[in-house]
Amino acid sequence: MPLEVLLVEDNPGDVRLTQEAFRDANVHVRLHVASDGVEAMAFLRHLETHAHAPRPDMILLDLNLPKMDGREVLDRIKKDDDLKTIPTMILTTSEAEADILRSYQLQANCYLTKPITLGAFESLVKSINEFWMTKVRLPQQRPVK
Amino acid sequence: MATGRVISARNMGLGVWPCDCTLNYSLNPGHMRKYLSDSGIHSPALRYGAGVGSFAVALLVRAALDPSLQNELPFAVFFAGIAAAAWFGGLGPSVVSAVLGFVAAELFFVDNQGIGWIASPVAIAVAVSYFLVAATIIMIGDARHMALARAVALQIELEQAHLAQMEGRYRGLLEAAPDGMVVVNQGGDIVLLNAQAEKQFGYRRDELLGQKVKNLIPEGFAERLVADGLRSPAEALAQQIGTGIELTGRRKDGSAFPIEIMLSPLESPEGLLVTAAVRDITVRRDAEVHLAQMEGRYRGLLEAAPDGMVVVNRDGEIVLLNAQAENQFGYRRDELLGQKVKNLIPKGFAERLVADGLRSPAEALAQQIGTGIELSGRRKDGSEFPIEIMLSPLESPEGLLVTAAVRDITVRRAAEAQLRRTVEELNRSNEELEQFAYVTSHDLQEPLRMVASYVELLSERYKGKLDADADDFIAFAVDGATRMQRLIHDLLLYSRVGTRGTEPCDTSSEEALRLALLNLRGATEESGALVTHDPLPIVQADELQLTQLFQNLIGNAVKYHSAGVPRIHISAAKDSAERWTFSVKDNGLGIDSQYFGKIFGMFQRLHKRAEFAGTGIGLAICKKIVERHGGSISVESQLGQGSSFRFCLTGSAAK
Repeated sequence: MPLEVLLVEDNPGDVRLTQEAFRDANVHVRLHVASDGVEAMAFLRHLETHAHAPRPDMILLDLNLPKMDGREVLDRIKKDDDLKTIPTMILTTSEAEADILRSYQLQANCYLTKPITLGAFESLVKSINEFWMTKVRLPQQRPVK
Repeated sequence: MATGRVISARNMGLGVWPCDCTLNYSLNPGHMRKYLSDSGIHSPALRYGAGVGSFAVALLVRAALDPSLQNELPFAVFFAGIAAAAWFGGLGPSVVSAVLGFVAAELFFVDNQGIGWIASPVAIAVAVSYFLVAATIIMIGDARHMALARAVALQIELEQAHLAQMEGRYRGLLEAAPDGMVVVNQGGDIVLLNAQAEKQFGYRRDELLGQKVKNLIPEGFAERLVADGLRSPAEALAQQIGTGIELTGRRKDGSAFPIEIMLSPLESPEGLLVTAAVRDITVRRDAEVHLAQMEGRYRGLLEAAPDGMVVVNRDGEIVLLNAQAENQFGYRRDELLGQKVKNLIPKGFAERLVADGLRSPAEALAQQIGTGIELSGRRKDGSEFPIEIMLSPLESPEGLLVTAAVRDITVRRAAEAQLRRTVEELNRSNEELEQFAYVTSHDLQEPLRMVASYVELLSERYKGKLDADADDFIAFAVDGATRMQRLIHDLLLYSRVGTRGTEPCDTSSEEALRLALLNLRGATEESGALVTHDPLPIVQADELQLTQLFQNLIGNAVKYHSAGVPRIHISAAKDSAERWTFSVKDNGLGIDSQYFGKIFGMFQRLHKRAEFAGTGIGLAICKKIVERHGGSISVESQLGQGSSFRFCLTGSAAK
């Protein structure tokens, strides 16, 4: 059974790198991409063109996004009883202490900075795969409404 | 000789005069007669005239009586003449009268019995009897005459004594006068002067008497004595009388000195004299000059003061001010004197003068004395300007005054504001620059990450699948991108020292060292380096930055090692109460002393890229960290002998 992962990232270069890295790490991952915050929320709530979008098992969220930024997206996810159980990982270039703190206050499940070298990036994706997709037990059922 | 005279007077039985202490000498008959004659009443001529006259009267009376008397009583009438002569003329005239009477009687009235009768016993007896009677009469008459003479003499003597006394007093008065006294006649000749005048002018009295006063007072005095055509001498003088005239006196030695003279007229038998009281006013003049000088200086001091000076009394009224204060406030002096200081300094100053109930004015002032108080001044035109005043108390006969030095601090205020603005601008521009450097390097990282990642991806996937040129090109691209990433990483670190640091606080330098070694574990293990350290102190530092500092220095020591095993030792020595000097010593390659100053600059590298990789920013970061902590960093090294980096930090605030 493939793992559904939503990548919220506006930089196509990063999108491609992440896709490449996941392809090398785990062939069972299906990576969906939203290029801004508004699209991410539409995907998650099956709106408009995303009416048939799957519910992701995991979300990789960049902070700096057009239209609606990652903090707002995070806030909405964690305030949504249906969505808040989805592990949401911040993956960003920001090393600012304020961003790290704010993200955890908004209930981010972890905070990761994008490594500057390809090797480090690939190894980070491998680690995510190793930990979150192999070791971690995630809820199989949606919360009962 | 006076005593001799007294003795002879007593011997003569003429009496011992009661001693009057005011008399200068005792009287004797000679003196008394002299007084009588001097008085004009009993001159010798008069006395002898009286003697001869009384004889002549007696002779005429006898001659008139002769027809009836015949030759009877030829001498009797002459006794009356003798008595009169003795009474009025005294001894000498009465003797003359007696002798003349005897001769006349013998010649005209004695019965002539021839020459032979004269020698007869009867005639001799008659003559003896006559002279005995005459002597008796003479003695009685002369006694009366002497008594008269004595009375007159006494009177005269008393008058003279009084005169002498008065003269003595007046002379004493003259001589005792504190001023020099010079009496001058209308001709300008000196007729009298006192000792003080002698002393003042340096002449002896006899050198001045009869001389022209012009010799003493060359100008001004003589002119005052001599009337011009329009005024009488009395008028000319009258204008000067009683007023002190300041002139110049000239001493015998020619030197001049300032004098003040007071003139007064003196009517005398010699005509109108002028008495001049001459006062040497050298001392007074000097004092006046000194006083004027001092006053001038103080006034000059007051006026020359760069600050406005305002002296105020307890009631807040202005009693004195200088030109600077006039300028500052735009008033004329007379518009301010006596006015309330509140008009100039509306707030704060008057309140300081008036004590509240709890403090005396002196206490209230004491709190302000010597401290500059910044207030606001108000000009005549109503505009206000910032002032600084310094108060000081001034004890004066009018009571406690307050001197206020008022300084217009408009310019200073403006300069301060300008300085503040400049500092603010500088801080902002520095901050902006740091922010810019940070943001720039941070944002550069993004596209660079893309470039680097994708050339690496290219290299991974296509190495050996294209031609040899393509492999080379990709290798150069990867190398360039990697170096640029390091550079930007280090630049970010550098700019974070200023922008992302935390306030230094008590930090264990040993813990910071431990963290640094942890970060360097890969490099130290690879090189087999031996890192040792002494116990290290607690210092005031940003822990992350102190860790970075150790990391960079130890990283360098490991990186630039020589052939043997790298040995690195960290120590710290206390060099004052609160300064610690750290030392990071290695046995590495060492540094040529000519580069000591250069190595802490940005992008400064001493090695080729092929030998050692690096950005040349590591030591610049070290320097920036140490300087941000208020310390300094230096290096001691010799090529081939290793290096020792020293930096100092402030010790713990506690303890």
